Amino acid sequence: MTGRNVTQSRRRFLALGGATAATALAGCSGILGSGDGGDGGSGGTDTGAGQVSLSDFRGSGPLVAQREAPGGTSIEDLPDLSGELTLYLGGGEGGLYLDLIELLEQRYPDFEAEQRLEASSDLANTIIEENEAGASPADVFMSIDAGSLGAVANAGATASLPEEALSTVPEAYQDSEGRWVGIAGRARAIPYNTNQISESDIPSTVQEFPEATALENSMGWAPSYGAFQSFITAMRLIRDDDETMAWLQAMQDHGITTYDDEFRVSNACADGELTAGFANHYYTLRVQSARESSPIGLAFTEGDAGALVNVSGLEIINGTDNADLASNFVRHVLSAEAQEFFATRTFAYPMIPGVAPVGDLPRIDDLNPPDINLTELADVAGTVDLLRDAGVL
Amino acid sequence: MGTKDRYERLREQATMSERDSSPHTLLAVVSLAISLLLLAPLVWVFLRAGEIEFTRALALLTSDTTVSVTLNTLALVTGVTTASILIGVPLAILTAQTDLPFKRFWTITSALPLVVPSYIGAFAFVSAFGPRGVLADLLSPLGVEQIPTIYGLHGAILVLTLFTYPYVFLTTRASLLSFDGTVVEAARTLNHTRLEAFRRVTLPQIAPGIAAGALLVALYALSDFGTPAIMQYDVFTRMIYNEFGARRLDYASVLSMLLLVMALGILAVESRLNAGRDGAYVSSGSRRPGLIRLGYWKVPAVLFCAAIASLCLVLPVGILLQWLLRSGTGYSGGGFAFEAAYAWNSVGLAAAAAAICVVAALPIAYLSARGTSAVSSLPERATYVGYAVPGVVLGLALVYLGLRYVPFLYQSVILLVFAYVIRFLPQAVGTTESSILQVDPQYIEAARSLGYHPLSAFRKVVLPLVAPGIAAGAALVFLTTMKELPATLMLRPTGFETFVTYIWLVQGAGYYGQAAVPALVLVGLSGLSMLVILRREDTS
Repeated sequence: MTGRNVTQSRRRFLALGGATAATALAGCSGILGSGDGGDGGSGGTDTGAGQVSLSDFRGSGPLVAQREAPGGTSIEDLPDLSGELTLYLGGGEGGLYLDLIELLEQRYPDFEAEQRLEASSDLANTIIEENEAGASPADVFMSIDAGSLGAVANAGATASLPEEALSTVPEAYQDSEGRWVGIAGRARAIPYNTNQISESDIPSTVQEFPEATALENSMGWAPSYGAFQSFITAMRLIRDDDETMAWLQAMQDHGITTYDDEFRVSNACADGELTAGFANHYYTLRVQSARESSPIGLAFTEGDAGALVNVSGLEIINGTDNADLASNFVRHVLSAEAQEFFATRTFAYPMIPGVAPVGDLPRIDDLNPPDINLTELADVAGTVDLLRDAGVL
Repeated sequence: MGTKDRYERLREQATMSERDSSPHTLLAVVSLAISLLLLAPLVWVFLRAGEIEFTRALALLTSDTTVSVTLNTLALVTGVTTASILIGVPLAILTAQTDLPFKRFWTITSALPLVVPSYIGAFAFVSAFGPRGVLADLLSPLGVEQIPTIYGLHGAILVLTLFTYPYVFLTTRASLLSFDGTVVEAARTLNHTRLEAFRRVTLPQIAPGIAAGALLVALYALSDFGTPAIMQYDVFTRMIYNEFGARRLDYASVLSMLLLVMALGILAVESRLNAGRDGAYVSSGSRRPGLIRLGYWKVPAVLFCAAIASLCLVLPVGILLQWLLRSGTGYSGGGFAFEAAYAWNSVGLAAAAAAICVVAALPIAYLSARGTSAVSSLPERATYVGYAVPGVVLGLALVYLGLRYVPFLYQSVILLVFAYVIRFLPQAVGTTESSILQVDPQYIEAARSLGYHPLSAFRKVVLPLVAPGIAAGAALVFLTTMKELPATLMLRPTGFETFVTYIWLVQGAGYYGQAAVPALVLVGLSGLSMLVILRREDTS
């Protein structure tokens, strides 16, 4: 079982059997567990001080069944959270992240988080404005993309993160200067309709897509969506603006349909309206979770912008009066329980090695993301211009 | 006697009876102070734009993108305004002057679309008529492979028109109800055909009413962000938002300046049509003309009313109900639960904005209605500029200025309500002013001759008479505040959610089901305030 995971194709087909695949993965997850000396094994039944147990953090459904307890530092081993934290919370998944924060509030009656919920890029701009004017009311910024974290960091609006938190996360998923840290991974992927094509029909690099005859006039994308723009920003970083422009035009000549968001792209693949699309990986899992026998699979490209793994992340904001609480909060979000939450409830890639991704997803180490500095994804302006010039936006 | 004549008479009387000008000077000072306070935040736009080098600013202004976005915006504003007149005026005539069956019912359904936030309307239309929408699903078994796209200019015009034409409907209807019908009858006795009588007598009389509504529609179309964004049509607001997202505030402010210039242009055009002073939402209800008998036209007339009501009300409510029933976003988690506090926050903010607008509108409206000099309507005109400013720009300005100059007010309810007052005051000024115009100044004269101070004469005599107009203004401000999104998002206190911020958030996360109930409640609550506006017609 373990061997299967190591040798599997990176662009693998995501089978929908649910139970079989989940069991296969569950067999692996224990092996990597307990990496940080945390008491991962106790999580399953422990109810803790605030009567909040691992099962509260964990999602349910076919993709989550029979998982083993996560490894990593348990919140049992962290200092209690106490005090009031002002949290700027970015992104459309605010609803889900709120659940996590509520669980923490339940567990620690003395802890309260005031949340400000808006789009990540809007909040980043607000923090930068606030910082320029003196200080931001925010203690912590929780964002769904590295670009907005990078923008805040580049504006000099961050304070330092706790070493204990940074040390648990692979270097690729944190800022090189330790100004932000990833908390959940979001891989670019290719959802496709398994009735219409097989995995082998899908090119292994995005550059080949405009020539793929099987995908002619049958693909979809959501260019106004932040994650798509990060993907194009990555392409600009790896190649250059001219080549990116050529690719955008070639894709349009090839025939591609525009959607509002990538969940719709993924649903359209499951419905057979699209043969394939460009979307973050977890939308496919959401479709699978909601519609159990839908014919949707997931492929990954390799080593290029299409294989970008972006992160949701945290940073502590300059001028906070709550530095200790903020640091402790960051450590809690990187705990075994919280990482299990991201894996099983948002279907994101967990950021600590002790927690396995859900279902039949390849492990994050088995993905082959491009070698770029995620902080550079902050250059959205050039990308928006390019998309507009290409007639995509 | 026509509206115009009555004005002339009132104006003369006002001039004669209020010749001692001290109250007016005081009024002018107060009104000017209020309008300056309201316009102050817009200085930010110029401050930011001023940071750019001139050559770069010029390059930005003349770039292809700027030019095409300007043309797009003009096309949108012109299209929405024209279409609103084409829908609003016939509906007003049908409900005010004909023997249309169920007139009361059609009056309400024609006004109600104003309570549907245009971005919810836009989502509903995309859901219904989008590439994989309800209509496409219905038609695909019939072999219809593709339906014309809803996205683009025509979609944006369609949606904005359907949810803003009630401004034209309400003002035109008020003019129709208040103008003297005997003139039409006189024209008919002079052998004018009905159409000729309409063109030569009715139309000139209700033109200011139409223009007043069209002004609100045009400025709304200029400032709306959600609908063009959802319809994927590039206009100023969308560009400004994108530039802000890309952290290019200089370009954003140049675009904002251009947008303000367009707003001033619209105001100038409207001024030339000699509207504004006149007719907003008010009816005096005296001496109505005889009803026009529709005869064979009854059926098409009812069908027209029904078609508009279906598109504006049945369709969005139906789509919201469908969201409610079709659950399952694929998340296993519970998500983000609606709390009753959000509703109270919305209502509280809207009530505060309405109350302040009413108080601030009184001196401005009074001065504009009774002022003796040409500049007395300046404060009134100035308030419209705030209405034309997109919430995004106003939000940015108040974030910037608030942080630097009044940091203790930053992210406070006070600053948020201030933003609403800037944006929605002209709606209260319009209704209040036209009510004041209908009060005979001799009443004040009489009160003053009994020894009352001008202020208490106003309070005891004029205020009770204009109360219905004030109530209508308050209701309009209330319901537009309930719907406001961008400034609310940017300026609200942290942890302070409202109906619209909640709806925006959950629909952004794909939780359409969870957005449905608050959206329906929002529409319902706003609908109640619309009834206040329509009720006035019964009592006046």
